[in-house]
Amino acid sequence: MPEHHGWLLDIYADGTHGLVLWLLGEDGQRRQFFQDFPITFYAAGERRALRALWRYVRRQRVDVDLFRAERLDLFRGQCIPVLGVRVHRPVEQPRLFQQVAAAFPYLAYFDADLPLSLRHAAAFGTFPLARCQVEADAEGHIRGIQVLDSPWDLEPARPPIRTLCLEPEENPHRRLPKYLLVRATAEGNPRTATYRLAFEPLRPLLINLRALLLRFDPDLLLTTWGDTWLLPYLLAGARRNGISLPLNRDTRRGIASRPERSYFSYGQVIYRGRQVHLFGRWHIDRRNAMLWEDYQIEGILEAARITCLPVQTAARVSPGTGVSAMQILTALRQAVLIPWHKQQVESPKSARQMFAADQGGFVYQPLVGVHYGVAQIDFVSMYPGIMVHFNISPETVSACPPKPDDLLPLEGADGSQARGLIPNTLAPLLNKRMALKQQLIHMSPWDARRKTFQARASAHKWLLVTCFGYMGYKNARFGRIEAHEAVTAYGREILLRAKETAEEMGYIVLHMYVDGLWVQKEGAKESADFQALLEAIAARTGLPIALEGIYRWIAFLPSRVEQRVPVPNRYFGVFQNGSLRVRGIEARRRDTPAFVREVQMQVLQLLAQDETHPEAAIAMAKRRLAELRRARVPLEALVLSQKLSRCVEAYHSPSPAARAAAQLQALGRKLRPGQRVEFIYMRGKPGVHAWELSHPPNPAGVDIERYTTLLLRAVANVLQPFGFDEAALRQVLLDTPCRQSLLPTMSFGKPTSLSSLFPVTQVTAGGPLG
Amino acid sequence: MGRTLPSITQAFLGEQEALARFRRALRRADQIALDDLFAAARQHLAAAAYAAHPLPFESFLLAMLLEEHKKVLRLERLLEEMRAQRPEEHA
Repeated sequence: MPEHHGWLLDIYADGTHGLVLWLLGEDGQRRQFFQDFPITFYAAGERRALRALWRYVRRQRVDVDLFRAERLDLFRGQCIPVLGVRVHRPVEQPRLFQQVAAAFPYLAYFDADLPLSLRHAAAFGTFPLARCQVEADAEGHIRGIQVLDSPWDLEPARPPIRTLCLEPEENPHRRLPKYLLVRATAEGNPRTATYRLAFEPLRPLLINLRALLLRFDPDLLLTTWGDTWLLPYLLAGARRNGISLPLNRDTRRGIASRPERSYFSYGQVIYRGRQVHLFGRWHIDRRNAMLWEDYQIEGILEAARITCLPVQTAARVSPGTGVSAMQILTALRQAVLIPWHKQQVESPKSARQMFAADQGGFVYQPLVGVHYGVAQIDFVSMYPGIMVHFNISPETVSACPPKPDDLLPLEGADGSQARGLIPNTLAPLLNKRMALKQQLIHMSPWDARRKTFQARASAHKWLLVTCFGYMGYKNARFGRIEAHEAVTAYGREILLRAKETAEEMGYIVLHMYVDGLWVQKEGAKESADFQALLEAIAARTGLPIALEGIYRWIAFLPSRVEQRVPVPNRYFGVFQNGSLRVRGIEARRRDTPAFVREVQMQVLQLLAQDETHPEAAIAMAKRRLAELRRARVPLEALVLSQKLSRCVEAYHSPSPAARAAAQLQALGRKLRPGQRVEFIYMRGKPGVHAWELSHPPNPAGVDIERYTTLLLRAVANVLQPFGFDEAALRQVLLDTPCRQSLLPTMSFGKPTSLSSLFPVTQVTAGGPLG
Repeated sequence: MGRTLPSITQAFLGEQEALARFRRALRRADQIALDDLFAAARQHLAAAAYAAHPLPFESFLLAMLLEEHKKVLRLERLLEEMRAQRPEEHA
């Protein structure tokens, strides 16, 4: 029987063959295989109801086996009797289950709606891009499949993936682009082919694209706006022109498209655009992929590998769904029932217990002002570390939240209790992340692997971060609020122990934020000076802690509304190597125009060079402001984007974003909550110009005064710790009359010395004594 | 996700709001002093949250007192230093 070696590209259900698997062969061939793969779901409830269900399923025209079994219910901590329904053709399972759930709504269902790739992973150890050895007969029916590597390998062999990039020359939501830019690249082959195809007329473009797809046969279609515009547009055009466009590798299948949607998560409305999924080939839309800016294709492939979700899904779902998939896989492997709709609710608590339990991470109020020689030390993946170290999982925590005094000894779980589902899921991920980070530390800055490693580490980070939040989410299948509370309780205890350790060793704790501390000590300058502290904290808390860096100086900012009140996550500082760290100020916000972000960063860079002489920064800001007021700044740099929090019609007093959205809707574009709208501030009504309108705004109408205020505020925010306030800056910076200003222009005399203009204020409240 | 109890900042703003009538009836100068006290309490929100007291205002009062006492200590020390510099005037 022929044997094939290669990488697993895709798995999906098929009407005639059970499963279809695509293998990227080591010989460069892309092969399709078939596999029988029955899948099982379970129902639990009264005996009589289960018997009725048995008879009901028998009557359906679906090939099934029915059997009685006992399976472990994690939340009850014991096995329960269930009726198993094994469906022979996986493609029939969703519909059958839908009918069953509608006919017997009072039964509890398990393992009912799981992604096929996870079931396959549990049965055969497969994962996307797994290196496999497949034995198959001449028709391609799989007789045996063996996985040769593991998703936890640090440096998996890179499959020779062929990528076809399709990018419209400009934003198609604005107007029909003139050209489609096409680039064909293959891993391990330095040659790239590029083409520029005209959209009008469409027929030649379709013919060329068709030829290219057939000749080049890409594994990945990497597009811009492919989900929301390009692929649907091309397919509709192909239909009109009577051309078949082989976007799929599997020619028997049509493409699968999923509608757009908006949903609410973590206090924010999230928008996901329409999706176009292919068979036997991946489609990823850069604009619709989660965290694309953060980790790109390497991160997506890594996320797919470790979550075992199909690549096209992994690219588009939130890390929460990824973590959920990992937990499902652990449960499948441990033969634990996976609830369809979770029944479990929060257990009753007394008011006193509620006060003690319902708390988040420890967030200190920093000491406002500029501090010199400050070390930032962070616990390494604190919350996931706590879950693994203290064995926190829905089935291991008690109904009552732990008080600080009766937390487990910080040496960690003692092994008297079996390791829970969540720690079992997280431990390999945590280990891989630590190993990757360790390698990154020792890797030279010029190492070609560095970028890949960073992208993968970033994918791990997002999964680990969301894992904790997901535990407290009532609909998460393995979520439980008490487990969530236990994690934060340990987190607070650990951070306080770290603070006590630092203070006992003579450090001043300037700030603490959930899993990090900012400490300072007379004479401590080098990383070696902080080593003893790190070791002492690790010894006392049982969790690893690392030096993030030493700041030459760092400025903690007060609230914009109330100058006397410190804000936890608004700061900027310069590390000893000269690099900047910026949090919570305009430069980090997406609703700040690029021009303002850029100037604020320039000011910071000049301060990083020499914070004792801010004159250079002020002079630069003045020049940039003059550019703005003389209308020399390109319009693109003034575009800002804001999210719609609701439907346009639902606004009582429309925000600028809503007014811009209304302009687009008047032209027939439909916008949904959670979508971002780009616009420019204009004078007069309605005060904005939507950037995606097909005609550009009139430059003379741009609201320069508004941008001036935004810029002044951004510059003042970073100069304020050095004793400059917005009003004073306005005076110094604003001697360029606005070209469009209707007010009589004022001129300001040159200040003789800066220090005479700005009284240096010192904020001492809350500071250490003396 | 989602908390059942209001966060400590929400509790603080609620307490401040509850005293709005009290503040309104004060003289302007006294209003400013009161605002100072509230700003001082906000320095220690983290501690008040950790204390998880059913009546958080007690924690806020203590935080105000704490900052006041720090101010007293600071002034005392300043006075000591001045005395040390010019012993003859304070003899």
